Amino acid sequence: MSAFSAPPDEYLQANPREGHLVWDRFIRVFHWSLVASVTIALISGLALDATWSRLHLVSGTFAVALVSARIVWGFTGPAYARFSGFVPSRQQVVAYLKRGTGHMRHLGHNPLGALMVLALLALILGLGATGLAALGSGLKTGPLAAILPASQGGVWSEIHETAALALLGLIVLHLGGVIFESRRSGENLPRAMITGRKARRMGDIAAPARTAHPIVAVLSVSGLLLVSALAVTDLSQRPLSNPPVAVIPPVYSAECAACHMAYHPATRPAASWQVMMTGLQDHFGEDASLPQETAAQISTWLRRHAADTTDSKPATLWAGLRDTTPVALPDTAQWKRLHDSVDADTFRRAPVYSRSNCVACHADAETGWFSPFRITLPKEPTP
Amino acid sequence: MKHVLTLTALLLAQPALAQDTSPQDLIALYGAQSGAPPAPDAGRALFLSDQTGGKPDTPSCTTCHSADPTRAGQARTGKAIAPMAPRVAPERFTDQKFVEKWFGRNCNSVLGRPCTAQEKADIISWLNSL
Ligand code: HEC
Ligand code: HEC
Ligand code: HEC
Repeated sequence: MSAFSAPPDEYLQANPREGHLVWDRFIRVFHWSLVASVTIALISGLALDATWSRLHLVSGTFAVALVSARIVWGFTGPAYARFSGFVPSRQQVVAYLKRGTGHMRHLGHNPLGALMVLALLALILGLGATGLAALGSGLKTGPLAAILPASQGGVWSEIHETAALALLGLIVLHLGGVIFESRRSGENLPRAMITGRKARRMGDIAAPARTAHPIVAVLSVSGLLLVSALAVTDLSQRPLSNPPVAVIPPVYSAECAACHMAYHPATRPAASWQVMMTGLQDHFGEDASLPQETAAQISTWLRRHAADTTDSKPATLWAGLRDTTPVALPDTAQWKRLHDSVDADTFRRAPVYSRSNCVACHADAETGWFSPFRITLPKEPTP
Repeated sequence: MKHVLTLTALLLAQPALAQDTSPQDLIALYGAQSGAPPAPDAGRALFLSDQTGGKPDTPSCTTCHSADPTRAGQARTGKAIAPMAPRVAPERFTDQKFVEKWFGRNCNSVLGRPCTAQEKADIISWLNSL
């Protein structure tokens, strides 16, 4: 018997103990793969730090791919997989609710369960979209990097996180519904999602028979994957507008990186560089004076590539700095908020020594990116 | 450990220097300007002493340079500074502009005034004797 079609009634009459095949093989594999990938994505996104982001991206993308395939199957699969077989009308939902617990049993999704399925599918797609938007704006990677400005990063991450919490809430409701319905109907629903079968009883509401078109489904899903992969690759390669300047002139490294790392021009706005460059003889308690001409040359370069004209997350953080005497970034509220989780001692100990020694923890500090993927807390060297 | 070494090597890497002078030439030059013979002991005393005339965060040359100039020092920002003794750091005192720039800044930070030609000759002659 094909895994893709509901058994004919004659078959069931001949083999009453086998039960009625409700969940075809794709639905079952889909369901449990989705459980795994969503669990991993939720844990890595909500509970683990940025070093797990790769796992988060992979599991999240996988969940979205699964949902896309499920949607295709909803138009091409067998009876109980079809949206036309379970998406309820408003009257059906109202009638179902009115009848309370006394209604007949749906072999497939009952109207409330169906609404839950739709909500879960939609929310996971939404999470994929807002995740890409957060990645593109805040971290300037992925297909939306060239389209969304870094200033939207915070908003998209917040929407993404709220949607994740909503998904968590729906999952709890879904589990509650499954337990309730298993009790009420005396049928172990989680097991049915493994074996695919449910006992056939008098009065069960079955879905209208539909023929599955697995080849059409496989072709559609492959086409969808191919087009998405091409689109993502193409969009991801679009040049960014105003990324942190990549070429650091030798005069800057020679004159401004003798006492400390080379601070990237995008770490403060032009006005702030102006203030700093006109007071080099008293520079954070030291004399860092330069010949007029060299200072002017460096100042021009710094101001041209400053935070207020750069589109990156760290640039948006500090573009609004309005210091009248040079302020070190670690003395700003933004910096303190970001480094709340880091023990104050770590900054004083070897090999960091100073909060301003960003490059000790941020491998890409001198590029101006400060990507969360490039952070490592250095270990204290053993003498 | 290998990473620590590479990192240290990177941190200690010097900008390209002009190689237009040598410690001996500079001692001779500053000595001629001051008109007195260089005194390594006076240089040592100045380099290791604590001062009050300069900026409060930098009371001594040894705030950043090691009190043992054959070893690396460390800027207040955590960045390593190569040893000052030419015997272990041959690139020291080989670029006159570079030497002048840093004497200018560092003497101002520590002493609150420029170093005299005599003091420069004393310090280089001490460092060169190590
Ligand atoms: C003589 C040594 C010296 C030189 C040369 C020097 N600086 Fe600094 N700079 C410092 C010190 C010390 C601090 C304070 C850092 C700390 O608290 O750890 C500092 C801090 C800074 C900061 C703030 C760091 C932060 O955390 O936000 C910037 C930006 C900066 N310097 C830029 C420059 C530029 C641009 C030049 C070249 C024109 C320059 N510095 C040259 C010693 C120096
Ligand atoms: C002792 C190590 C350390 C030093 C030094 C340090 N940081 Fe960080 N920084 C971190 C850690 C760890 C995080 C991530 C904190 C978290 O996610 O809770 C972080 C996060 C950040 C972020 C946010 C990254 C993102 O997109 O999530 C920025 C921007 C940043 N730091 C800038 C700086 C700057 C600028 C300096 C130097 C003035 C600096 N940091 C110095 C450890 C450090
Ligand atoms: C605030 C930290 C600091 C203090 C204090 C300091 N220096 Fe320096 N000094 C540096 C740095 C940084 C350099 C340049 C980096 C390098 O050459 O490795 C330097 C370079 C020099 C050079 C250039 C050497 C060469 O390579 O040709 C001389 C000379 C020098 N310092 C002398 C002094 C003297 C004398 C004092 C005390 C009066 C002093 N410094 C105090 C940080 C300091």
